[in-house]
Amino acid sequence: MKPSTILPLALAAALAFALLPLVTSSNYIVGVGISALIFTVAAAALNLVYGFTGLLSFAQLGFWGIGGYVTALTVVTFGGSFWWGLLWAALLNAVVALVIGYPTLRTNRHAFVVVTLTFALLVTLIARDWVDLTRGPLGIPDLPKPSAFGHHFGSTSQYYWLAWAFSVAMLAFLYALCSSRIGRTLVAIKQNEPLVRAQGISPMPYKLAAFAIAAAVTGAAGGVYTFHLGIIDPLFLDFYYMQTFLIIVIIGGAGSFWGVVAAGLVLSALPEALRFSADFRMIIYGVILVAAMFVMPSGVAGWLRERRIARLREQLR
Amino acid sequence: MSAILEVADLRKSYAGVHALDGVSFSVEAGSVTGLIGPNGSGKSTAIDCISGFQKRDGGRIVLAGADISGRPAHHIARAGLMRTFQTVRIYDRLSLRDNLAVAAQQFDPATWVDELLRTRRYREAVEQAEGRARELVELIGLERYYEIETGILSYGQKKLVALAAALMPRPKIVVLDEPVAGVNPSRIREIEVALAQLNRAGETFLIVEHNVEFITNLCHRVIVLDQGRKLAEGTAHEIHTDARVLEAYLGMTPEMAEAEMRGMA
Amino acid sequence: MTIDAVYLLQLTLNGIALGLLYALVAAGLSLIFGVMEIINFAHGELLMLGAFAMTFALPVLGLLYWPALAASILAIMMVGFAIYELLLSRLKPDEFERSILITLGLSIIIIHVMQYLFTATPRMVDTQYGFEGIEIGNIRLTWTRIIGAGAAIVAFVGLYMVLRYTQFGRAMRAIAQNREAALMVGIRPRVVARNAVVLAAGLCGLAGAAIAPIQLVTPYMGQFLIFKAFALVIIGGLGNIPGAIVAAIGLGLIESWIGGFFEIVWQEAAVFVIMIVVLFVRPDGLFKRGGMRVG
Repeated sequence: MKPSTILPLALAAALAFALLPLVTSSNYIVGVGISALIFTVAAAALNLVYGFTGLLSFAQLGFWGIGGYVTALTVVTFGGSFWWGLLWAALLNAVVALVIGYPTLRTNRHAFVVVTLTFALLVTLIARDWVDLTRGPLGIPDLPKPSAFGHHFGSTSQYYWLAWAFSVAMLAFLYALCSSRIGRTLVAIKQNEPLVRAQGISPMPYKLAAFAIAAAVTGAAGGVYTFHLGIIDPLFLDFYYMQTFLIIVIIGGAGSFWGVVAAGLVLSALPEALRFSADFRMIIYGVILVAAMFVMPSGVAGWLRERRIARLREQLR
Repeated sequence: MSAILEVADLRKSYAGVHALDGVSFSVEAGSVTGLIGPNGSGKSTAIDCISGFQKRDGGRIVLAGADISGRPAHHIARAGLMRTFQTVRIYDRLSLRDNLAVAAQQFDPATWVDELLRTRRYREAVEQAEGRARELVELIGLERYYEIETGILSYGQKKLVALAAALMPRPKIVVLDEPVAGVNPSRIREIEVALAQLNRAGETFLIVEHNVEFITNLCHRVIVLDQGRKLAEGTAHEIHTDARVLEAYLGMTPEMAEAEMRGMA
Repeated sequence: MTIDAVYLLQLTLNGIALGLLYALVAAGLSLIFGVMEIINFAHGELLMLGAFAMTFALPVLGLLYWPALAASILAIMMVGFAIYELLLSRLKPDEFERSILITLGLSIIIIHVMQYLFTATPRMVDTQYGFEGIEIGNIRLTWTRIIGAGAAIVAFVGLYMVLRYTQFGRAMRAIAQNREAALMVGIRPRVVARNAVVLAAGLCGLAGAAIAPIQLVTPYMGQFLIFKAFALVIIGGLGNIPGAIVAAIGLGLIESWIGGFFEIVWQEAAVFVIMIVVLFVRPDGLFKRGGMRVG
């Protein structure tokens, strides 16, 4: 779809989303909306590193957790503001991503997956066991809602607008990145890395950049979500979040910006709509994951693309 | 004419086997030079070492006077040596236009800041690339596919795309790794014509190939490798009648070859 | 600080037992990777299923250890067979990321189905040996631990013999070393892959069944172990079974020693720190990607 058709649509959708707290009085629904927005941002970041660059990074979970903890600690332990907390969350994650990315990206793709998984686990261990810093399994409760320019985002609706503004800003940034030359280069790297090198481009700086940017964005998203929950503890690093982001990317279509965004907004609302027991919900996740890999490995966007290509082939023969 | 590419004493071994055992040759600027040899002679290894896709064990490679020995592949490309691959490599999911744009982007001065601010430098770079792309697309006859995903093209068409992409940055030399392998005969002629045209316009090519007719029609000079060493060098005709080449390729002496051909007539 | 020799010996023996357990899991992972080039995320669940199988088999078979062990291993091998035929056989060779997501999905399904059916309440199971064991000086070893370790060693010897001397073992090594060449010689990848998965499942089943009498059985028990197993496979060199085994036993020892003297958090983190260091120094693992070189 051409940018000229989809951008106005996206803008309209964004504005429609802003209206949510005005059309419902249920705090619960607004809360679901907040989750939808933030999970979509995290999924879009995963899409950048996995869908666009081809790196299946489980480290996103670690960055999400670090983001949450850094933001919380900035406010509670260091007396800073929520906004500084978000900034530090993004910056620290970017630095960590560069530090672990540099050696890890030079290994093969198999080791990359395992190392990123390990990183996420290590963060969980630190969150649980470095009690002096993170307060261990009890976590950090009673996180105060932030304020800005004299405005206090205390109620769920007000926090929704904070989350909305954050999400729109992050998605706009990611969109600009994905549709730029850099985004195109990432796609090229994913498709045919040797060719990229033969064309004078070194893939490493691009992979590192994608990895670090995804880390920063995910960290900030983690910070925003943490203050929505009002508490952070090691459960924030539960694999459940990684699975959610992953499923959004896969259903939407890895490598499709709008596919993932659409999937994120729709799928985040679904678990709430299908209020099953936790186990059953997870079983459905698992089944979706496996089924998608067989039936629609490139997600909805990929399936639409295949049909478009088939039609093109017909026309050109 | 001076040599645009000089290879001196190139060596490469795998597990004790000498894939390349001191190969030396040069490619004249503006020529089409062929590199042939039986399977296992080291042609692909030589190409990979020259273009930076494999580490050589010894020898020097000089491109237009600059030493590119042992440099990483992307440096060598930036220095002006572009190559294609035996199994065709293009970006299947990108349009023909984007394929060519990516091939050119490392060679223009615009940075991401330029792109963000849409500076004149960026707009000019894009325009120039577009112009060159359209030229090349016309040459390879794929105009109607300009905005279409290259994944739908046939194998032979993809080879043409790969050729065009290699030519986008106006390289000093283009190294083609079996450009017509697996391509159907009508297309082979197309590729031959395109290469001849490009050469007349000043492009230099080093072509690794098995297809003898193709090499004979196109190449000014032919280098023959066998078992990691240079066996012979000369014009296509000289190579055809060289005893050592015949023996290496066909395992026979010139007399036997002549007898064979008479037997076939 | 004087180190009590007996304490150290006890730690060492515990470490070896632990290491053998890790080795069973890591060897299976390595085997599957060598033959199929995929990392099986559901591997830990095979261990967990083996443990559960043991908790059901033992009461039914009158707490007799050996029949229950055999039954459990067999059951898990059948699960492995099913997993291969239904899911893994449809993967093409270069689909690494897809294989991860499929096995990840499978892992989620298995864990939560088990949790749904049996709840997360930990189970304990008893065997004919109870808590009896032998005493050497101040060191106490229960029979269940000794037999578990012994069974593991027997399994490894068996694995070695299969890979070295049987046709189907040689076929596995051939594919791991050079897939194209193996195909040209007429080795059928589907059969070999299926056998590899079944074999690896058997090793996991053995590990799970051996642990069941020793520690609590829960649906999540495979999870933490599996991440260590991934790390071990990387440290040992992907596809290098002896490497994985050596790394596993080494880890068992290191964890046991660290756990004996330092806090638990360092014990858990040890393997990951080691893996990162190894990747820095030798990106292909400590041992070469051996293609399961066994001789």
